[in-house]
Amino acid sequence: MTIEVLHPYEKGEVVQLLRAASRDGRRILAVGGRQHMDRGETCEMDAELWTRQLDGLVSYEPAEMVAVVGAGMRVGELQRILAGGGQEWPVDAPAEATVGGVIAAGASSPRRMRVGTVRDTVLEVELATGDGRLVKGGARTVKQSTGYSLPRLATGSLGTLGVIVQAALKVRPLPKSHRTLIAQGDGLSLSGRMLDVVPLPAAVLATPSAAEVRLEGWTGEVEEQTEIARSVAPDLEVEDDVPFPSIAPWDAMPIVTEAAVPPSRLPSLVAASGDAWGALLGVGVAWIGLPEEGDALEVLRRKASELGGIAPVIRGEGGLGYPVPAPEVHRRLKQAFDPAGILAPGRLGSGS
Amino acid sequence: MTGVEEARGELVAALGEENVLSDPLALRLYARDASMVEGGCALVALPRNLNEVTACVRIAADRGLPVVPRGAGTGLAGGATPIGDALVVVTSKMTKILEVRPEDRLAWVEPGVANLDLANHLRPYGFTFAPDPSSQQTSSIGGNVNTNAGGPHCLAYGVTANHVLALDVVMPDGTVERLGSEGPEAPGYDLRGVVVGSEGTLGVVAAVCVRLTPIAPEVRTMLMDFETIEDCAHTVSDIIASGVVPAAVEMMDRGIVVAAENFAHAGYPTDAAAILIVEVDGLPAAVEEQGRAVEEAGRRNNVRTIRVAADEDERALIWKGRKNAFGAVAQIAPHYHLHDCVVPRTKLVQVLAGVYEIARRHDLVVTNVFHAGDGNLHPLFSFDRRVPGTLARVLEAADEVVRLCVDAGGILSGEHGIGLEKRDFMPLVFTADDLAAQACVRGAFDPERRMNPQKVLPDGARCGDFAMARGTSMEESLEQMPDGAWI
Repeated sequence: MTIEVLHPYEKGEVVQLLRAASRDGRRILAVGGRQHMDRGETCEMDAELWTRQLDGLVSYEPAEMVAVVGAGMRVGELQRILAGGGQEWPVDAPAEATVGGVIAAGASSPRRMRVGTVRDTVLEVELATGDGRLVKGGARTVKQSTGYSLPRLATGSLGTLGVIVQAALKVRPLPKSHRTLIAQGDGLSLSGRMLDVVPLPAAVLATPSAAEVRLEGWTGEVEEQTEIARSVAPDLEVEDDVPFPSIAPWDAMPIVTEAAVPPSRLPSLVAASGDAWGALLGVGVAWIGLPEEGDALEVLRRKASELGGIAPVIRGEGGLGYPVPAPEVHRRLKQAFDPAGILAPGRLGSGS
Repeated sequence: MTGVEEARGELVAALGEENVLSDPLALRLYARDASMVEGGCALVALPRNLNEVTACVRIAADRGLPVVPRGAGTGLAGGATPIGDALVVVTSKMTKILEVRPEDRLAWVEPGVANLDLANHLRPYGFTFAPDPSSQQTSSIGGNVNTNAGGPHCLAYGVTANHVLALDVVMPDGTVERLGSEGPEAPGYDLRGVVVGSEGTLGVVAAVCVRLTPIAPEVRTMLMDFETIEDCAHTVSDIIASGVVPAAVEMMDRGIVVAAENFAHAGYPTDAAAILIVEVDGLPAAVEEQGRAVEEAGRRNNVRTIRVAADEDERALIWKGRKNAFGAVAQIAPHYHLHDCVVPRTKLVQVLAGVYEIARRHDLVVTNVFHAGDGNLHPLFSFDRRVPGTLARVLEAADEVVRLCVDAGGILSGEHGIGLEKRDFMPLVFTADDLAAQACVRGAFDPERRMNPQKVLPDGARCGDFAMARGTSMEESLEQMPDGAWI
């Protein structure tokens, strides 16, 4: 069966397309920059709805630290605009990813220990619901206690409740300095010691054969922390202005999971997970590369679950692989926002 | 009437006689929170643990009683003001810090733990719970979760939603769900994120897993004073525009400075038009850089003096005046009414000028003490409600303030919530479709709308029903309080 492509040019058109799809029972997958397509369970669809034309800059005032953009804006384009104001949206998605895609995927930065998660940055969203209503939730202010939070509901919802058409984002000053410190050796043990002594790192990444510490901020504080890190590993490699992470052994594998467990349990999780992994210490996220053949994914998921966590696949086949809490609440939310069940049915698990 | 008597008997059996209140004095005491709205209730229960909360909610479900969760009762929007034959479930006996796991950067606490008690408990571990509302000596973590509380330090550290990993919630049918996770990501929709700020309308939060934030190695607290409000407010936007996000930027105008100084003796300059308390933190080099940028922003805007707290005692003293300001206004008049709008930071000067003008026109005393860095205003009208006609003037003025803020691109509440007091303003900032979507969220948790009924959303906001009540004025909306609530 061929997949039809819908490419609306403005949000009113999204609404019309969804109304028609709801009426006709045509299943729709909202697609941004195709960077998070493997996330979620496999879902049947009849058409892709491309959001890329919804890429306008609605407003950006650096002194407010808030940018309002169309959901189809590419992350690279947004970061270029924000850099003009000395700021960044603290996600580290590929430049081709779209703002809406990053939000729908809930794809947080590897620097989240310092910059927070993507959901912390979504202040307002405008959604076209499955039955074709345009609804806005949240506000363009940095704090809000005004009604139920649609922004938090939409973040990570994988396009199952509505198509995100616009968002207001909390942005932050660009750090004056970025630095990566690499210490070769037993990654877990070195990283553990780094986490203990380096006061405010943006990330401490353990890989099987190295520890990688990301520092950012004022030049002086980056220097101070570099010196502290040398007490753990005197022969540190110091790299300024390089992408983070610099090494990603999991990337070479056909299946990549982004496991999440309470931080102290990361070593137990990766201990039995081969040698293609990276673990964000102090955060609890581990990217683990797996082969396609065999039961490696199943084994990993069992382990993650024992440790109080999850191991969804973010690249390759495998889906989410976990049950959701409060399934009735999930079902009722889906029913209310997408009564005909046309938006990526089942992508976030049963009931979505 | 519903089964109040039966419910009472069942509650006594489950919780013990001493934890179920139904005498007229108790019912009166729990008929309101710290807002101006008064209601009424049929029963008050004080569960001591999650199982007892579950029993309360089950019994209420069986007997068809509304449930109103209540923490410390410091809420300023009527979110914990019960109506009719409600069962008020008070968490003030649930004050255990269940576990602290620094290795996982988390702690589990019962909802009745006071915010400041938690912060003090975490200090020896080198961590804190970042949200620090001014009510932190009394307000509870459960209440903080339900209002998505802020406080001075959420400028740099973010609001409560950013610091809650998981919640054990007693759902309206009495089942318990763990929403969120001890790990950094959780399955399904972010229901934990939805419950934060939901003002007790989705379930009863019976345990909270909070994220621990490392205490900054160094802190610098600065007190700056200005001859004009404009210079003070411009300094705020200049600080942010210079690429610095301080830990806190608090502004106080002269009226509140005088009142707070009388109380706290913090050495505030009482002849200034306005003062700023700015705190920067981090590693020594970062504190130095940020401190310099803050001072420069002040000097560009004619700051009179900059006092830097020399030690922890002086820092505490500077904060004491700020954090007790709402108490100190009792010197001005016996009652106060305040709003909690957030406006774009760049509109502060314009909105403040408008607030003073509104107060002048209504012949009212207004003072301002607020989270300037976030644009979160707290214009506070002091008055004596025993003077005939005063309350009406206050409500009219408050109504104008809300509209002024909304017209400037603002929102109704930054951290206090909507409750009963502000629900009829919701159509000022949301369309009928927006409110219907919010009603759907509510309905997904609580289809019978028995949890803290009539709060947050105006009458008429129904899932799937887009015919909405139009926005009314503050005075009208308070006159149109639901049956059983009054001001």
